[in-house]
Amino acid sequence: MFTVRSFLRKGSALAIMAVLALILTSCSSSSSSSVAASSKSNTSGKGPVIIGAVIDQTSYMKSFDDPALNAAEIWAKKINAAGGVDGRKIEFKVYNDQLKPALTRSDALKAVAAGAKILWVTCDVDLATPAVEVGLEHGLLTVSPCTSTNQMGPERFGSLGKLAFTFGNAPESDGAVLAQLLMQHGWKTATVVTDHSLSYFVSVCKYFTHDFTLMGGHVVSQLSFTAGDHTSGQVGTQAASLPSAATVLCTTTTPSLPTFVTAFRTAGNNKPIVGPWSIDGGFWEPKNPTISNNIWWSTFASVFGDDPNPQVRSLLAELQAKGEAPATGGFVTGPTALQGIVAAIKDTGGSLNGAKLAAAMQSFKNLPTLSGPVSFSAAFHSVVGRPYRIIEVTNGHPHFVELLSPGKYASER
Amino acid sequence: MKIRIRLVYELGGPLLLIALVALVGSMMSIAQQANVINILVTATIVIGLYVFIGNSGVMSFGQISFVAVAAFAAGILTSPVAIRSTTMPQLFHFLAVTKISNLESLLLGALLGAVFALLTGLVLMRLSGLAAGIATFAVLEITYDVITYWNKIGPGARTLALVPVSTGLSVSAIGCGIAVLAAFLYQHTRSCRLLRASREDISAARGIGVSVFRQRLVAFTLSGAIAGFGGALFVHELGSIQSSQVYIDLTFTTLAMLVVGGSGSLWGATVGGIGFGIVDVFLRNAENGVALGSLHLSIPSGTSTIILGAFMVAVLILLPRGVTGSRECLERFSMKRFSKAVRLDDQDVPRKP
Repeated sequence: MFTVRSFLRKGSALAIMAVLALILTSCSSSSSSSVAASSKSNTSGKGPVIIGAVIDQTSYMKSFDDPALNAAEIWAKKINAAGGVDGRKIEFKVYNDQLKPALTRSDALKAVAAGAKILWVTCDVDLATPAVEVGLEHGLLTVSPCTSTNQMGPERFGSLGKLAFTFGNAPESDGAVLAQLLMQHGWKTATVVTDHSLSYFVSVCKYFTHDFTLMGGHVVSQLSFTAGDHTSGQVGTQAASLPSAATVLCTTTTPSLPTFVTAFRTAGNNKPIVGPWSIDGGFWEPKNPTISNNIWWSTFASVFGDDPNPQVRSLLAELQAKGEAPATGGFVTGPTALQGIVAAIKDTGGSLNGAKLAAAMQSFKNLPTLSGPVSFSAAFHSVVGRPYRIIEVTNGHPHFVELLSPGKYASER
Repeated sequence: MKIRIRLVYELGGPLLLIALVALVGSMMSIAQQANVINILVTATIVIGLYVFIGNSGVMSFGQISFVAVAAFAAGILTSPVAIRSTTMPQLFHFLAVTKISNLESLLLGALLGAVFALLTGLVLMRLSGLAAGIATFAVLEITYDVITYWNKIGPGARTLALVPVSTGLSVSAIGCGIAVLAAFLYQHTRSCRLLRASREDISAARGIGVSVFRQRLVAFTLSGAIAGFGGALFVHELGSIQSSQVYIDLTFTTLAMLVVGGSGSLWGATVGGIGFGIVDVFLRNAENGVALGSLHLSIPSGTSTIILGAFMVAVLILLPRGVTGSRECLERFSMKRFSKAVRLDDQDVPRKP
């Protein structure tokens, strides 16, 4: 008698099914392609500039990767409408790597097979490595819009890393601007709290301490926790008891930040809490306005509708109208990266050769972009010295305060 | 003679499946081949799990520790020496300067996996049941923490990059085949039969003088060697490794593969590793959109995990012993033929009146 069980139990049948499924997977898998329609109407006769975006659209990097790409796609449409780059349209081919390393590698290979001449990767160098390596192996310019470390370049990938760049800020710069912020406001003593879960946090606090001390500031105490170890509340209470003018906190939004801030304020300390881009967004704030008060951070752009650059405000409005409102100011790094790519293509006279594009990109000195001037060097394939937007939370309402440059110590590095 | 045919099925079935998968993979694009390679490497690790879990009946969550240790050792020692001083400045001197070939790193991976398993097994194999499972999970946790936070032995929480990629389709297929062969040879040893006896009835096995500790230790060590070998293949497949890749996710994925395939047989481990891997890859590709001839299949982002989980539950409800029923390849078929032959032989024997 035929039953599902008896059928499934037949190993040979299963083997055949498995091979059939394998054959099915060999059927061409497609990426989502944007700006493709406009590329077909390319009048110059040249093919489009295909950028293979291997990013996360499912997991925890989605909130960084998606806004940057969405904003870049809007920007690409504008470039294409104005005639493209050197007569060629820009086309994104998007692959969702779901942060699975094996999938990241195979997606990058798919992007290369689909004709990508530039690879666009997720905003974390560790997670992006399988894709970055594919880009480098194939001699492609490999760009991350918002990775915040200088590891996206020769520092991590050796001589091959000459082809890799990020349009995010180096932690050297992030630390320097926080030091600048404290000194500017006359907060000359600080408690430094480092979350050890990511090397980025450790680096930012390290460079803050270095620059702050050089500028005449005094670090009262160095405290630490590791996100997920459930000690951020205790550390918050401990930090609140220290006699410093401000507390610098290098961590990210969840799970530790709301706990830390609540514990800090509940202990009766109303002095400033200051953090880097990783605490941008305001969505994490505790609802109580007396707790969510006097909190400061540096970022790429204000997502609160008051950015000083009208182009940024306009782009933000477009994203919001499309239902793609970004959570953090990192979205401007997408158009910034695209502006960098376009400038490099123009500098090389239209070449898409990875080495030529990388050489052009490395020579950028204050390239004007949506997020501010961008410079690279042989030592820095991440951005150092770009002015930051300083955001302050007052009674639960985040708002833009000022533009602030990281200062001379960052530039000297 | 009939028994020999059964052995041919038992070994030939998994090997044929691996060869078939590799053959189909060779007809694919390089990007799709990367998926097939990953499936074969993962299947190698699943076979490593089977050698201990399947034969002993003791659940272990610690085998991925051996994968991790081997993967990092193989990755570090084959990466360019020049880059190690900048990416891993705190590395022990011998790790910073020693360079080995990819082939040597595979052997080293197997050796390290075996030694690590032997050392942990000396303590853990005295435990049974839930205690053994939890203890192996503790090994996984400790290994993960050491690899993630001790910068003298690796890149810490960062990704180790620039590992030479050498696990292609043929290497992964051969590697998986070697794992099958090792598991097959082991399961026909006296040691494995004694271990299986302890799996069926531990008191009875002890009663007839079986040293359960010793037999488990042998299986655990061999399992560690295969897992370590799989780990070395794994790092040379992707060209990079991060500690989170060889932790909880891989542990539960490979265990699920083993259980869905049928943890009691080599055929089950192979079918589970490969079949589950294919379904996983198909669903993940479907999230990006898959063209099936003229049909375009696309599922919402993030649903592949839900579908895979539901599929797993359905299989386990319908087939609690896995899709192969924990039988070897064509076991029922060969056993029927064997029984028939025995009956015929019996008819030839003159019976006493």
